[in-house]
Amino acid sequence: MDEDVLTTLKILIIGESGVGKSSLLLRFTDDTFDPELAATIGVDFKVKTISVDGNKAKLAIWDTAGQERFRTLTPSYYRGAQGVILVYDVTRRDTFVKLDNWLNELETYCTRNDIVQMLVGNKIDKENREVDRNEGLKFARKHSMLFIEASAKTCDGVQCAFEELVEKIIQTPGLWESESQNRGVKLSNKEEGYGGGGACGGYCSML
Amino acid sequence: MAADSEPESEVFEITDFTTASEWERFISKIEEVLNDWKLIGISSGKPLEKGIFTTGTWEEKSDEISFADFKFSVTHHYLVQEPSDKDGKEELGEDALPLPMQDLLCMNNDFPPRAHCLVRWYGLREFVVIAPAANNDAVVSESKCNLLLSSISIALGNTGCQVPLFVQIHHKWRRMYVGECQGPGVRTDFEMVHLRKVPSQYTHLSGLLDIFKTKIGCPLTPLPPVSMAIRLTFVLQDWQQYFWPQQPPDIDALVGGEVGGLEFGKLPFGACEDPISELHLATTWPHLAEGIIVDNDVYSDLDPLQAPQWSVRVRKADNPQCLLGDFLTEFFKLCRRKESTDEILGRSAFDEEGKEVADITHALSKLTEPAPVPIPKLSVTNMVHSAKKKIRKHRGVDESPLNNDVLNTILLFLFPDAADKLAEVFENRASTSAGNNPPPESEDYNLFSQFKSAPSDSLTYKLALCLCMINFYHGGVKGVAHLWQEFVLEMRYRWENNYLIPGLANGSPDLRCCLLHQKLQMLNCCIERKKARDEGKRGSMSDRSPGGASGDGAKGGDHSGDNPDKEKEFGKSWDSWSDSEEEFFECLSDTEDLKGNGQENGKKGAKESVNLKPEGRLHPHGKLMLLHPGEPLYVPITQEPAPMTEDLLEEQSEVLAKLGTSAEGAHLRARMQSACLLSDMESFKAANPGCCLEDFVRWYSPRDYIEEEVIDEKGNKVIRGELSARMKIPSNMWVEAWETAKPVPARRQKRLFDDTREAEKVLHYLAVQKPADLARHLLPCIIHAAVLKVKEEEAVEDISSVKKIIKQIISHSSKVLRFPSPEDKKLEEIIAQIMSVEAIIARARSLKAKFGVEKCENEEEKGDLQRFVNSLLEQPEVSVVGAGRGPAGSIIHKLFVNAQRVPAVPPLEEELRRSGSQEERRQGVQSEFPPPTGREVILRTSVPRPAPYSKALPQRMYSVLTREDFRLAGAFSADTTFF
Repeated sequence: MDEDVLTTLKILIIGESGVGKSSLLLRFTDDTFDPELAATIGVDFKVKTISVDGNKAKLAIWDTAGQERFRTLTPSYYRGAQGVILVYDVTRRDTFVKLDNWLNELETYCTRNDIVQMLVGNKIDKENREVDRNEGLKFARKHSMLFIEASAKTCDGVQCAFEELVEKIIQTPGLWESESQNRGVKLSNKEEGYGGGGACGGYCSML
Repeated sequence: MAADSEPESEVFEITDFTTASEWERFISKIEEVLNDWKLIGISSGKPLEKGIFTTGTWEEKSDEISFADFKFSVTHHYLVQEPSDKDGKEELGEDALPLPMQDLLCMNNDFPPRAHCLVRWYGLREFVVIAPAANNDAVVSESKCNLLLSSISIALGNTGCQVPLFVQIHHKWRRMYVGECQGPGVRTDFEMVHLRKVPSQYTHLSGLLDIFKTKIGCPLTPLPPVSMAIRLTFVLQDWQQYFWPQQPPDIDALVGGEVGGLEFGKLPFGACEDPISELHLATTWPHLAEGIIVDNDVYSDLDPLQAPQWSVRVRKADNPQCLLGDFLTEFFKLCRRKESTDEILGRSAFDEEGKEVADITHALSKLTEPAPVPIPKLSVTNMVHSAKKKIRKHRGVDESPLNNDVLNTILLFLFPDAADKLAEVFENRASTSAGNNPPPESEDYNLFSQFKSAPSDSLTYKLALCLCMINFYHGGVKGVAHLWQEFVLEMRYRWENNYLIPGLANGSPDLRCCLLHQKLQMLNCCIERKKARDEGKRGSMSDRSPGGASGDGAKGGDHSGDNPDKEKEFGKSWDSWSDSEEEFFECLSDTEDLKGNGQENGKKGAKESVNLKPEGRLHPHGKLMLLHPGEPLYVPITQEPAPMTEDLLEEQSEVLAKLGTSAEGAHLRARMQSACLLSDMESFKAANPGCCLEDFVRWYSPRDYIEEEVIDEKGNKVIRGELSARMKIPSNMWVEAWETAKPVPARRQKRLFDDTREAEKVLHYLAVQKPADLARHLLPCIIHAAVLKVKEEEAVEDISSVKKIIKQIISHSSKVLRFPSPEDKKLEEIIAQIMSVEAIIARARSLKAKFGVEKCENEEEKGDLQRFVNSLLEQPEVSVVGAGRGPAGSIIHKLFVNAQRVPAVPPLEEELRRSGSQEERRQGVQSEFPPPTGREVILRTSVPRPAPYSKALPQRMYSVLTREDFRLAGAFSADTTFF
């Protein structure tokens, strides 16, 4: 399977504690939801190969703990990431308010400045919503991020979020490296196709 | 073609090309090319706008054809024009002159600053040139030249192409062209004369007019008026009183301890030679009618001061030697050296005393040996001598790459604290290391994070600058190796003697900086912890007040050795997994023997601890109270997480990733990373006797403690809280860790970070760096410094184009430097960009000085002058407002006047000179100017040729006269209808 892989991408999931980072990842990698998922300690790591527009990409996804004390450790994992998923909980405004801190941290510790960022508002299945979708949209637009609302529980938007992120990374020249020279040809064929699709500008919403 | 010429009386007309000659084939190839380029048919276009030759874009297309086996290149040069509207085309009609012929008379683009010579000579917007393809080939013989000319004539006739076609004849450097342009019933011949020596009758206007008229051979009398455009060009090479002020810095001044123009820690800037080599002044009379002025061999009315148009261009010295650029280039060369420090300093230096440096690999065992640099006092001279002595032994005194004075100066610069007395250093240490780093939140200061270099006030940055200077002035790579060796020794000395390294930000390594900087910060972390521990042992500073910063966690001193009983009481029970954890969070082995003290201890501990005295409190956590005893909840003093450099992190994440994605892998991964959590829990328990997991969670992960307002039996609103569902999962890692955690304050816990081992690792790493490695580590700092320097210099000059380039350099560099091991080619590009900016600024300075912008008192004039100087840098040619009478004009005038006064010629003699030779007297009116370097004249008229009843057609002759070159380029049109 690895032979078909176009590239390996490093993706990072960050956000306040308890917003459902690990649940999103579990939903994406194993398509399951565990209401009793233990709080992450330090960082966790999962791998999944996905296919976006015929390009297979191997994703090495680093899931981080949101607690303040763990944050002194996690920035080190920002290094070399091509994509980052910033998660907040639509039912807890404080997790949305803290997004600015996370972006600051990202800017400080990221080794590249063209990293693709995606904002995910999680837990839309819950009823006591505190953050409106438009607020999320506005924030994403302001910081040129991708934006989607999702629910790890009901599976809404999860797959889409990861796929869109990967597609965007692959479209960004210089952000990733092909696994081998031969695959380069495959990509260039592919890129022509993207022009018509036009799915993404600097900012895009998928809902 | 061949067939046409043979009259055949056959029934069937056969067109036969089999006998076509080389010449015929050549012609048809020319036609083919003209066809391919769609140059056939009526050329159309708008009349040329003023200055379009300069502002518009020129393009060219090339093809290759051959005459037999002789290769020619065909090139089409043209001004890119907007497609003209159709109406215009129709208006032209059949009888209109071909565009190129109209262009011959157009006066809007005389003397373009930058153009193909044919454009300058004939004012053409479009033409095709056939020239020998090889650079050294030439068509010299007259018959061949004529053959070529006939070829193009036939090709033009056959195709009806109206674009002028030229052939280049003679050697290429002579730029000799002949050509032809054809239109319906009209033809223009382009002819040329090129001579070394000028016949004296052609050096002035009247002589040229004579040739022009003879050449036209106009049958009419009187002759229609000839319009004239004249340009005299004067060159100024001799900037008499403006000596180029910048001298190469005096190296000796440095050595003597007296800092001259150049200090360590600063980069030099500026050109060593004048970056402006010449100033060309062109004085132009754009439109003179015949007879208005007199210019003959005895008298001339052409006074440059009176010329209606002045324009100036400057010739820039090619690659002027610039100091900053040289520094950068030399330093970059260092990156390619292969030698190790030992090889450079002489291997023998380490044979005897090798144990001191080379054996750092056995670093741990070395700790037990006496310190390798047993210097009683921290003083620069001692530091210098340590390495110096060794080198001296083997190489002789004079051979050591850096002499004492230089080395002293540098070390003092790098380690300013070493100059102070020992005691003072000791006390001021904390304040200096903090004070060294003022956090100006300016854009410039934060450049280091973009470049991945180091802050501009850091030791690493200073070291980079010193190495750069040493590489340039003090012994090259040998000097670099020597200083590095001294530096590494100093690092070891500081580690062994608990002296913090100055010029580094506190705290764990800053991953935004270069690896070398991180390593030094790491070493400082180690020193800090070791120092705290040693001080604790000495008992001089027993318990610190808990009011200190959280970073003081480990500084409280480690008493583990003093009270082993207590240690046993709270023995570790998580040792079952701590073995694997040790790969990352190295622990002291003295706790190993405490293994297996049973889990029951831990559980009991929680209950017993209620009676314990609280220890290691940092501060109360807001107004939070413990749930059960109802006492304030305290934030404990905690162990700082282990500092990490990026290479360590890389290793660690690799190991974590290798554990795989299985549940066990994930579990193990969490375990490996829970040392910090456990340590925090223990600290928390010690600070809050009688606390429970809920209390801990409220501090550590507040969102996992869910509070609800409930109304109790009495009807009062009560806030009831509980752990989140995920924290309540039985035997999840948090609960598990909580149960095993014992109330142990941070200072008595086992170390999460083994400073001894880490320090030795860093020191070894430093010792094995070759000069080339070092240069690569520090190149980002040097580029950073260079950009800052350029920025600083630019700020004085305020040149907008430079600002733009600097911005580009910054964004380019931040892209290149952030990646590990950037390509050499990209680095070279950056350096070249910086050098070009330096050259531009140096040129601006040179021009400013020459035009005396600073001396100008009138503010308005000063602004004008400044703009004038700036545009000189950016545009090929700048017109002078007010010509010779404007402020800039009068300065230029003075420049020429001054240059005329040859140095050391007293004023008296000058008077004599004025009444000099006849040649000078002829140009009496322009005595203040030197004789012009170039005289260009364009003569134009429209007369019927060859017969009086022919159509009036454009005639043009251009002449240029320089010191060793005379050229006439004529375009003479004739009506071909009846001829």
